[in-house]
Amino acid sequence: MTRVVVIGAGIAGLTTCLRLAAAGAQVTLLTKGIGGLQLSQGTVDIFGYAPHRVGCPLEAVGDVARDKPDHPYAVIGAEAVRTGAEFLRDAVGPDLLTGDVGSNHQLPTAVGAVRPTCLAQPSMIAGECRDGARFTIVGLRQLKDFPAALIAGNLARTVLDGGGRMSARHVVVDFPARDGEADSSGLVYARAFDDEGFRGRFAELVASLVTDGEVVGLPAVLGLNDRSAWRDLADRIGHPVFEIPLPPPSVPGMRLNETLTAAVKAARVRVVLGSRVTGVDAEPGRVRAVSIAAAGGPRKFAADAFVLAAGGFESGGLVLDSYGRVSETIFGLPLAGLPEAPDELVVGEFWGAEQPLFAVGVRVDERMRPLGADATPVYANLHAAGGVLAGAQRWSEKSGEGIALGSAVRAADAIVEESE
Amino acid sequence: MNGMEFAGHELARASLDHCVKCTVCETQCPVAAVTPLFSGPKFVGPQAERYRNGESVDHSLDYCSSCGICTLSCPQGVQIAELNSQARAVMKADHMPVRDRLIGQTTLMGKVMTPFAPIANAALGNKPIRTVVEKVVGVHRDAPMPPAQHQSFEGWLKKRTAPTAKPTRGPLVFFHGCAGGYFEVETSKRAVEVLEYLGYEVIVPKQGCCGLAQQSNGLFDSATASVLKLCDQLRSAGQGLTIISASGSCTGMLKHEAHEIMGVTDDRLADVAVRTRDIMEFLLELHEAGELPTDFRRIDMTVPYHAPCQLKSQGIGMPAIEVLRLIPGLTVVESGRACCGIAGTYGLKKEKYEVAQAVGRPLFDMVRQTNPEFALCDTETCRWQIRKGTGAQVEHPIWMVHKAYGLSD
Repeated sequence: MTRVVVIGAGIAGLTTCLRLAAAGAQVTLLTKGIGGLQLSQGTVDIFGYAPHRVGCPLEAVGDVARDKPDHPYAVIGAEAVRTGAEFLRDAVGPDLLTGDVGSNHQLPTAVGAVRPTCLAQPSMIAGECRDGARFTIVGLRQLKDFPAALIAGNLARTVLDGGGRMSARHVVVDFPARDGEADSSGLVYARAFDDEGFRGRFAELVASLVTDGEVVGLPAVLGLNDRSAWRDLADRIGHPVFEIPLPPPSVPGMRLNETLTAAVKAARVRVVLGSRVTGVDAEPGRVRAVSIAAAGGPRKFAADAFVLAAGGFESGGLVLDSYGRVSETIFGLPLAGLPEAPDELVVGEFWGAEQPLFAVGVRVDERMRPLGADATPVYANLHAAGGVLAGAQRWSEKSGEGIALGSAVRAADAIVEESE
Repeated sequence: MNGMEFAGHELARASLDHCVKCTVCETQCPVAAVTPLFSGPKFVGPQAERYRNGESVDHSLDYCSSCGICTLSCPQGVQIAELNSQARAVMKADHMPVRDRLIGQTTLMGKVMTPFAPIANAALGNKPIRTVVEKVVGVHRDAPMPPAQHQSFEGWLKKRTAPTAKPTRGPLVFFHGCAGGYFEVETSKRAVEVLEYLGYEVIVPKQGCCGLAQQSNGLFDSATASVLKLCDQLRSAGQGLTIISASGSCTGMLKHEAHEIMGVTDDRLADVAVRTRDIMEFLLELHEAGELPTDFRRIDMTVPYHAPCQLKSQGIGMPAIEVLRLIPGLTVVESGRACCGIAGTYGLKKEKYEVAQAVGRPLFDMVRQTNPEFALCDTETCRWQIRKGTGAQVEHPIWMVHKAYGLSD
């Protein structure tokens, strides 16, 4: 049986583990902490802006693969992205992710922008921004991260791509999650909404404030463990409801992360949480083992293949020092996308132009093996997936999850194929 | 520098600025999930720490149970639990409750109770006595207490017939801990029998307390003295020998907590730390090296397993699950719950008892649903808590290995 070590527990690492385990590999997941998936909005972006708003993300992936040879999608390809997104959707089930990989939803954000995303949680779908939609955004006085007036105001002045418009108004209700608490996190609310009695009282209040034909927009806190809490709430209010994701703690992100992590454990992946990978034992062209800094001393993990899914700058997989040098922190891999001079890493207006810094990472072949300067794999049995891959402007393209899922599929399938 | 100076002035501040306020720790904290009395690890930790200048700024810190889930799950490597344990020690330094001094005297408790086991057990089961204890000492009347044993582990070792077969694998040191010496004696016996069955010579030096309960109550000076004394005792058994323990939390104290929380930099501790292995971790290492016999007897059973916080925080995964999966017929279901609530001595305290019960409730429900009769967990106080919360028999995972090797029925 092939032994594989996967490093990193974000969407790329978890998906790689699950796919490898499903194919019969013996998988160990090493992770410093809980991965970034739970900090996400709990949706799957494949391609959002190119730079216009994208309706069909897989078509956009195909275009990018054709036009931008340095983009990760050029080696991943649209088919692997489709496979990855469908694999994840099926793994977590229809209570958690829904949608057609061929088309984007257009959903409101917590500042009232309209965000294209491919797969979304069923609790968000009624927020689809289409001509003639009538929204009432309900804020909670004790939940500071959900500015209902701003959201409704921005949605109401938005002109949709086809020229359509929505109407949106807001109300704010005084409804503490816990008695006497003036400022609660979304998580405290989510736990409260798991309780049927709490939902009942809230529904009664909201029902008295909405009029016929209105769709009710709420912060994404409608239950953490009870996956049908939002449905129950909609039934009680008598109107469709939808969740709008908040800044972390992101409840939809937690739902997705917990479900996927549980699936990974159920697939008998050995999960080692809380220890950083600090050492690599390699021979020319091949990684033999990695070691982690466990309490009391290092512990070694030998394997036939390794997958680096430790993320980019946000997780410390890539670091930038004060001299403008960028490095990959685990294997010290060669990086692509570096400009001639360090001061060109961040350019022009921060929010305007494409930033070279964000495109820095490792370049890979079709099996997702990091490449050296001579364009051959650094190690025959090391693969990379997710945020560490070079060439994308994930934050402005909205391509992060698509790249993670597509590269996870490519890496896992290559390992399985090599072991046969 | 002594432990309190370390806590008051040095702290784990090097990691403080790595906090990006992502809230992962907040979402994992089992205490903040059940009570508004604790504002959460990020708030009392990396955030409040910036404002501490000798004075404590947030007294809800005392409600932290030191389970360590925050540090374990932090994606940025911030030592949140360590920061909080240190800040609490400083906060309590000038008004340490007598109860918190007494409660850390775990060896004393065992020594006093064992000779008087029937009396001690009667007293612990006696409601009026426990009510008085709660009023006077501050230990909750319903808090789980271990049953006193008639024979200590040391007593058993002296009286037993030692194995006659010549060891085939060389010597190991066994560290039993206070609870393993006086209360969970059966687990210590089985651990030694399994190691001997595998062919090891098991050396059990005379040993005291690791000081964990004192450390978690903020008594850093006495805890440091205890842990160093223990290091001397364990080192006296032989140079460079692997030290095996079936006490998950005491193992954590030796491996990293004494160093990371109290700043103990003594070479003796460093030497012991690198040689210490949890017994299930040790068996898994043997298995991976192809040196663990797996001619296990079949055990047809489904059993819930809860990995204790102090074992998880060692960053070694859950070795018990991997080892128990080698036993044919046995289905091990991981609890998936953060904490049982007891967190050492936390759940014994009258003001924290209800919080600890609320923390443990989802785990108790999981155990009842999975197997209401029998569950597994690697640390002693957690087992007492789960026994009390579920009525199930809760034992160390080594019991299953012992049974699967045919050493018990």
